[in-house]
Amino acid sequence: MDKYLDRLGIYAARLVSQKEYFVPGHRACQGCAEALAVRLMSKASRTNTVIACATGCIEIFSSPFPLTSWMVPGIHVAFENTAAVASGIESGLKAIMRKGRIPLKKINVVGIAGDGGTSDIGLQALSGALERGHNMVYVCFDNEAYMNTGIQRSSSTPFGASTTTSPAGKVVPGQTTWKKNMPEIAAAHDIPYVATACPSYPFDLMEKVRKAAEIEGPAYIHILSVCPTGWRLPPELSIHAGRLAVETGVFPLYEVERGRYKLSIDLPELRPVQEYFRIQGRFRHLTEEMVNKIQRRVREEYEKLKKKVMMTREG
Amino acid sequence: MMADKEVVRFKINDTEVEAEKGMMLLPVALEYGFEIPHLCYHEALSPGGMCGLCVVEVTKEGRTRVAMSCKYPVEEGIKVATDTEKIRQVRKRAWEVLLARASRSEVIRSMAQAAGVKETTLEKRDDDCILCGLCERVCREIVGANALTITRKGDRREVVPNPEACIACGACVYICPTDCIKMEEKGDERTIVRWNRTLKMQKCKSCGRPFAPIFQLNWIIDKANLSKDFYELCPICRKSS
Repeated sequence: MDKYLDRLGIYAARLVSQKEYFVPGHRACQGCAEALAVRLMSKASRTNTVIACATGCIEIFSSPFPLTSWMVPGIHVAFENTAAVASGIESGLKAIMRKGRIPLKKINVVGIAGDGGTSDIGLQALSGALERGHNMVYVCFDNEAYMNTGIQRSSSTPFGASTTTSPAGKVVPGQTTWKKNMPEIAAAHDIPYVATACPSYPFDLMEKVRKAAEIEGPAYIHILSVCPTGWRLPPELSIHAGRLAVETGVFPLYEVERGRYKLSIDLPELRPVQEYFRIQGRFRHLTEEMVNKIQRRVREEYEKLKKKVMMTREG
Repeated sequence: MMADKEVVRFKINDTEVEAEKGMMLLPVALEYGFEIPHLCYHEALSPGGMCGLCVVEVTKEGRTRVAMSCKYPVEEGIKVATDTEKIRQVRKRAWEVLLARASRSEVIRSMAQAAGVKETTLEKRDDDCILCGLCERVCREIVGANALTITRKGDRREVVPNPEACIACGACVYICPTDCIKMEEKGDERTIVRWNRTLKMQKCKSCGRPFAPIFQLNWIIDKANLSKDFYELCPICRKSS
């Protein structure tokens, strides 16, 4: 890691831009880390930006007609075609710049969607856009279920989590499948930049968005956005939960730049996953046996990731 | 929004813009989406005027001059041009100066290359710092540790650290546009490489992981009048307990 972005703390925070492109007054729940992540993302992508925003929590709470929280132009798109619309915007901008209708300048095209809009419904549009190599940034705000419709499971819901469509009971202990590894799917498209981020580490998140916007070609950022409502945790713990997700290894922060893996925060040892589960109601039913099973899997995945870092290291 | 503040109207590249009186040209132009390169400007700090990249042509009462937009307060009725032949020439020269000042810096070289400047005819300095002074300003204006001083002028200008005062907070690491200030952590020690400052880190009483330099924490405790044991736990354990 170059800058130890997770260690900067108190003074560097005052150097973050005070300009807001995602303004307050929206209708997000208390403690919504997704709203925070969107705000930080828009601070990093700054003014010359066009947003394509899929249906999902963000769209519902930030732009109920006739109000909007966005200070940059955007298009609200259907659930499945965020990436298609974003790539259309990028091609359109390229064409009108070529015809001289607007001056030639760098305009960031950012597609944003939730985990449902990315890993379930919008996956084929995203795959197409990544493969065609449009110069755009795609950001997935992953709150690990369909939260705005009432906490239904998605393919991004972690193993064991209780949701309204994967309720924990006597027979079935919540979600029975493992979380789909979306960043790896994006990285498999061999695009120039893939990263994971979390608003509990704001400098790291902003740096990644800035990097993604600067890089020529498609970039994918997967942001873990803690959802106090759906995860059944007190709103004041959402930043803490994000930090625990990273420090337990459940959601490691890394980036893949032109095929090279790099850990953003290299943890000498992982905290036990129980610390992360204990504060969330959706994992309350987990037995010790299940926790151990998840712990083993988390360790394995983290080791795998570390091996990828070793294997793709420069020089 | 700007009800009780005086608003100034003027033109940038034939576009009507408005801004609060007292603002500098550069932030206004950037906010309207005009591209002006800049390296030594930061909105949270006082303007530096060191890199010379943010030059624009300002026409006022029929007279046109080249001015640095980071230090030019907005005025009613002026006309600003951000991309003319003259401006391109001045900027090219500025890039040459920066290339000579920081001949070792990969970041500056690639930025200059993107701007169309490959080589410099000036005498090269063996360094990777462009002497923009952002580190000195952030240490003085934001942190208040005053661990850096800029001495001398012109080509003998230098950033001189006072390692005794440095709290290793990393604000200068974060702001440095050429990434020439590096921070390293090994075991329970943090080093700011360029300033040659190594500090021992406080270990968390609960999880045992080092999280911030002891010197820095004591400095904050002193400044904010906190109790001596305020920083015994790392941020995560503090919330868990």
